[in-house]
Amino acid sequence: MAIGVKVMKRPVGTTSYLRATLKGMALTFRHLVRPQKVTLQYPEVKPELAPRWRGTHRMAVHADGRPKCVACGLCPTICPSNCIRLVPGEDDQGNRYPIVYEIDEFRCIFCGMCQEVCPVEAIHVGQDYENSEFTRERFIYDLDRLMAQDHPLAALWDPEDPASQ
Amino acid sequence: MAITGQGTSAGSDAAGAAAPPPQDLVNCTINGVAVSVPKGTRIIEAAEAAGIGIPYYCYHPGLSAPAMCRMCLVEIEGAPKLQPACVTVVGEGQSILTESAKARAAREGNLEFYLLNHPLDCPICDKAGECKLQDYTHAEGRKHGRVVEPKRVLNQDDFGGDVLYEGDRCIMCTRCVRFMREIAGNDALCVVQRGNRSVIDTFFDEGLDGDLWAGNIIDICPVGALLSKDFLHKARAWDLDRSPSICPNCSQGCNVYVDSRDNLIMRLRPRPNPEVNSYWMCEEGRLEYEWYNRANVPTGTIGMADTIGGGPNPTGRCERPMVRDAQGRLQAATWHDAVVALVQRLGGLRGENGVLAVASPAHANEDVALLHRLAQVLGGGDAVFRVRTAPSEVVCPGFPKLARRRELAANGRGLRAVGFRRVGDDAGAGGLDELTTAGKIILVLGDALADVPETFGADAALFVYLGSEPGPAVRNADFILPVTNFVEQEGTFTNFEGRVQRFWPALEPPPLARPAWQVLGVVLAGLDDGPAPADAASAFLRAAELYEAFGGLSYEVIGGRGALLNEPVQLGAGAAEGA
Repeated sequence: MAIGVKVMKRPVGTTSYLRATLKGMALTFRHLVRPQKVTLQYPEVKPELAPRWRGTHRMAVHADGRPKCVACGLCPTICPSNCIRLVPGEDDQGNRYPIVYEIDEFRCIFCGMCQEVCPVEAIHVGQDYENSEFTRERFIYDLDRLMAQDHPLAALWDPEDPASQ
Repeated sequence: MAITGQGTSAGSDAAGAAAPPPQDLVNCTINGVAVSVPKGTRIIEAAEAAGIGIPYYCYHPGLSAPAMCRMCLVEIEGAPKLQPACVTVVGEGQSILTESAKARAAREGNLEFYLLNHPLDCPICDKAGECKLQDYTHAEGRKHGRVVEPKRVLNQDDFGGDVLYEGDRCIMCTRCVRFMREIAGNDALCVVQRGNRSVIDTFFDEGLDGDLWAGNIIDICPVGALLSKDFLHKARAWDLDRSPSICPNCSQGCNVYVDSRDNLIMRLRPRPNPEVNSYWMCEEGRLEYEWYNRANVPTGTIGMADTIGGGPNPTGRCERPMVRDAQGRLQAATWHDAVVALVQRLGGLRGENGVLAVASPAHANEDVALLHRLAQVLGGGDAVFRVRTAPSEVVCPGFPKLARRRELAANGRGLRAVGFRRVGDDAGAGGLDELTTAGKIILVLGDALADVPETFGADAALFVYLGSEPGPAVRNADFILPVTNFVEQEGTFTNFEGRVQRFWPALEPPPLARPAWQVLGVVLAGLDDGPAPADAASAFLRAAELYEAFGGLSYEVIGGRGALLNEPVQLGAGAAEGA
């Protein structure tokens, strides 16, 4: 017994591919004449980042070149991906400072909580995404490297109105 | 009390804790909870018994209460003013409110005063995370300060000893002053100036140098005003893993917490035990922890082979079982091969020329009992230990039960209880030269043999070394078996008065190190002497079966406070001198 297949009778105007093809071609020609540019000529042209866009870290420094970090330990505590290693110590002036401060940028998920929790506004996530290295180890940024970064910082909050009120 | 249902013998000083004399009870309600407490109980203690926390700074259960911090003010219905809970005695039928609007307002106001000159430097303060000022302010303080005047600024002051004073953070609870006066018996601290300008200070050049008990003021300081130089900036309070343990540095057996981070000991703190150390411990115990903090190199990279071959081994730690092969060379072996070979050798030598067993007084009762048993099974012989001894005892004036005892190791009493005798001098050296080793089985547990000549044990029939940090004489050993030290295993120590106390593991041992009771238990089982204990509790039960002194004891009986040995208590010099 043959399977009974119900065949709908439809007008040719809707079943023909010709109409849809012409419609598509019209769009193509329209773009040919008036193009909408979405492709950036990277790296000559770079995208504009949102103010809160978060990339690799940067450590703020004092005028005399010391890191602002006081090694309080809040960033390794809050870090959800556990990518910050901190060993606190005392410098020659008796100040608490980080002997070791390392961020594994591969483990980092760029949530920005380290910047938010920092009581002295030392560690920041920055607007930097152009990271390439030949080894994985190079992505563990130590204190000197974090201090040497000079890219713009992510603005996680409005400095005039930090609590968004 | 934990000490019930065991046959404690005559002279047990725990008897005082057995049956409290009948007392008049006083009934009151605290926050609506009905509480019955003995007459004379203070409100703060009654609330604690009822599970209600009252904030306080100046009160400390081990010290007098001056009622000067004003944090524990509570409302007593009918009383015209708020009353300090730390000195007010509970009265019959009182209704005490700790969370009433008046009490809360008083606390909030107080906290605002405390923060007038406080620098709010929690990020760089070592106390952050365990600071009472931080806790109470977070819970009940104002969200924002209202002070517009500049804060008073003081400099850091070195009090001597291990103590630094950070005057800005001080809240003038005077716990430290009272501790030095009442417990340490050394009136070295006082409050100078008055009111807003008051600071804690020492007398001119006389600091806390040389005071054996001064370190306790760092623990009892409720804020970050008194800091330990040793612990300064080392770790954050919330990063520390805290394990209950026993201080191994003298035979007092102070209960401590081992605070560790990244498998390294960061500091020791006293753990309250009214029978042993109250709330205190001495400086020597507190600061001498590096010798059992030996994991500070990457594990797995360094083995005994490096030491025996003359190469570098920064920790000096045994990390792999080593067995002497037919060519006379020490070779790394698996635990299985090493133990099988050892049981074979021991079985062949059993009962021939006797045994020399040398144990370290830093090893647990379980370890040394099974070592002694092994020596007996193999035919018996000398069982000795060596221990460092200080010239004199240093008693804590305010709590005479507590002293830095003469014997500078934790388990001398436990070794004696199973039949070891002391040899050697007060430096913990010598004594082994007089003992013949020729043809004997030498069993060494824990003793590093650091002072022993390199020829030691060369003429022995078999030389078995169980330990963690071998000296040069160990190169003659036929078996080197890496065992954990006390801070890496569970076990018990017996203190000078015969109190058996439990300790718990605080650090991860090197991957191949095993507790000595486990190794010895397996070897004994191989020699058909009982089943191998599966855990420390059953190893202790085994020791309790074998040795009368531990009879009737078990981990349940010992509990958190310890229990006394089943033998007459020798207090004072007798126990410390021993052999």
